[in-house]
Amino acid sequence: MRWTETALAVGVVLLLVLWVVWVDASRLDRLHRRVDASRGVLDAQLLRRATAAAELATSGLLDPVSSIVVGEAAWAALSAGGPVPSPAAVSGELRQVLAADLAPRTRTAPPDLDRGQVESDLTAALRVALADPQETGALSADPAGGSLLADLSSAWYRVQLARRFHNDAVAQTRAARRGLLVRLLRLAGSASEPVTFEVDDEWPDGLPREAPSA
Amino acid sequence: MRPARRHPLRVGLVCPYSFDMPGGVQYHVRDLAEALLDRGHQVSVLAPASEDTPLPDYAVGAGRAVPIHYNGSVARLSFGPLAAARVRKWLAAGEFDVLHLHEPVTPSLGMLALWIADGPIVGTFHSSMNRSRSLQLAYPLVRQSLEKVSARIAVSEDARRTLVEHLGGDAVVIPNGVYVDRFTGAARDERWSGTPDRPTIAFLGRLDEPRKGLPVLLEAVPAVLAVHPGARFLVAGRGDFGPDDAAAMLGPHAPAVEFVGGVSDEEKARLLASADVYCAPQTGGESFGIVLVEAMSAGTPVVASDLGAFSRVLDDGAAGVLFRAGDSADLATTLLRVLDDAGLRRRVVAAGRDVVRRYDWPQVCDRILTVYEMAIAGHRTPVGEDPTSQRRLWRGRADA
Repeated sequence: MRWTETALAVGVVLLLVLWVVWVDASRLDRLHRRVDASRGVLDAQLLRRATAAAELATSGLLDPVSSIVVGEAAWAALSAGGPVPSPAAVSGELRQVLAADLAPRTRTAPPDLDRGQVESDLTAALRVALADPQETGALSADPAGGSLLADLSSAWYRVQLARRFHNDAVAQTRAARRGLLVRLLRLAGSASEPVTFEVDDEWPDGLPREAPSA
Repeated sequence: MRPARRHPLRVGLVCPYSFDMPGGVQYHVRDLAEALLDRGHQVSVLAPASEDTPLPDYAVGAGRAVPIHYNGSVARLSFGPLAAARVRKWLAAGEFDVLHLHEPVTPSLGMLALWIADGPIVGTFHSSMNRSRSLQLAYPLVRQSLEKVSARIAVSEDARRTLVEHLGGDAVVIPNGVYVDRFTGAARDERWSGTPDRPTIAFLGRLDEPRKGLPVLLEAVPAVLAVHPGARFLVAGRGDFGPDDAAAMLGPHAPAVEFVGGVSDEEKARLLASADVYCAPQTGGESFGIVLVEAMSAGTPVVASDLGAFSRVLDDGAAGVLFRAGDSADLATTLLRVLDDAGLRRRVVAAGRDVVRRYDWPQVCDRILTVYEMAIAGHRTPVGEDPTSQRRLWRGRADA
């Protein structure tokens, strides 16, 4: 009896430990997958925002200086976003010039270019270009301008949301990775420690908010 | 004697760079404004500046320039609807006969003013354009805006060449001005004056910017000291480089290098007037070389690297002695040749005095006023607002 009891107890404890490890491992796996997914969503929205900014810059609806500064910042953001997007978003002569400019840029740009900095630069440029509510009000009244601003506003709001969700997932994952069992058994395996995405995404004074019903 | 001078002109000058951090273009705009005021013209300068930056009374601040990562470095630019509104207000209040924009291809205040204004517009191009500048021309409204410049001025042959290459057309070359008298009349300063045993060699420029060439000069120091053990190298300018760095580089020769620090306009004139030789060891990226003209005005022999811009200012070596850019050994030989040959020094100084006359502000100002006269002659109305820059008229114009 003694012997079987001990064996049973050991078996139960072993099963319990295995179960806890399995739960921890799958939780960690789920969290890592959530981080990947939220980063994908964030990247997609950043790309949308940069595309909308590039279209606005090349629309001829901004003053020429804002066009250049916003356009260059948007282009830097587009070419920093991993796979190079087709410059179909911009039109005409500019597309050709930009496409010609892109080849050397992607060759020389370091692959781990600080994405957050590039996106913050775009934010800073747009915040100056869209600083005046009266001016953007007039721009919204124009049919083409209105839809460009609506695109930008929609993408920008989603960037703000996606970044918070992503950083939330990162924070939870990092907390989980600090657990004793996870560190002891190296449950995180080869998955690298996720980092939060830091970017200045403060809303420009003049950019109209998306209508809640839209 | 010229019909256009019968009544004073109202001139609007636009400077693209902030008066918070003075540089070559800012000094040029300031000096030009003062030269025009001396002639009795009315001048207003519009430039980016913080609220708390003290401005001369002829200048109007256009608000703080925003530091933005642009084209690989942080640029301080003024743009956007708020800056545009200030430009409109300034134009309306000024009722200018002529508008003179500096660096209208830089995305800042000058380009903005060009888009908003119409009428007699003069543009001065200071720097040579690079690849990103030509890229900017592809943006909407930029090229059309540039077509409104009725008279283009380039400050050097190099600036003119790149301008023509990128924009087509042509430009007249009018160099940057120097108040020659301020340098000719500068008093010598005992601290910086050389003696036969202890000759002084002066350097001016950013200390930590390699293309300004301080390392090239420092590497020539030991060879000069071998012949003139008492020689003193006076290094003026700001930057992250000091006696410790010089000691690390030169060891026992380091005491021959004296760091003067940043100098005011007046100190600069005294330093140039006192030194036995002025050395300009820049390795590239210079489109003009105003400090060479200042040294020549002060009557100091110039030893400069043989960059295109420098040899043009020095009349191909007649008004100064050239050495191979970046070559410290050649610099040392050249410095020794100049220090040991009084006849050579007299010859280049005399040639220099002739050369500087064409850079003297009164002369330069005359030439710029003639350009104003031509620009005004081509227009029936003074400077006004371009109606196409107003939002209500924008519709349908984007594809133009």
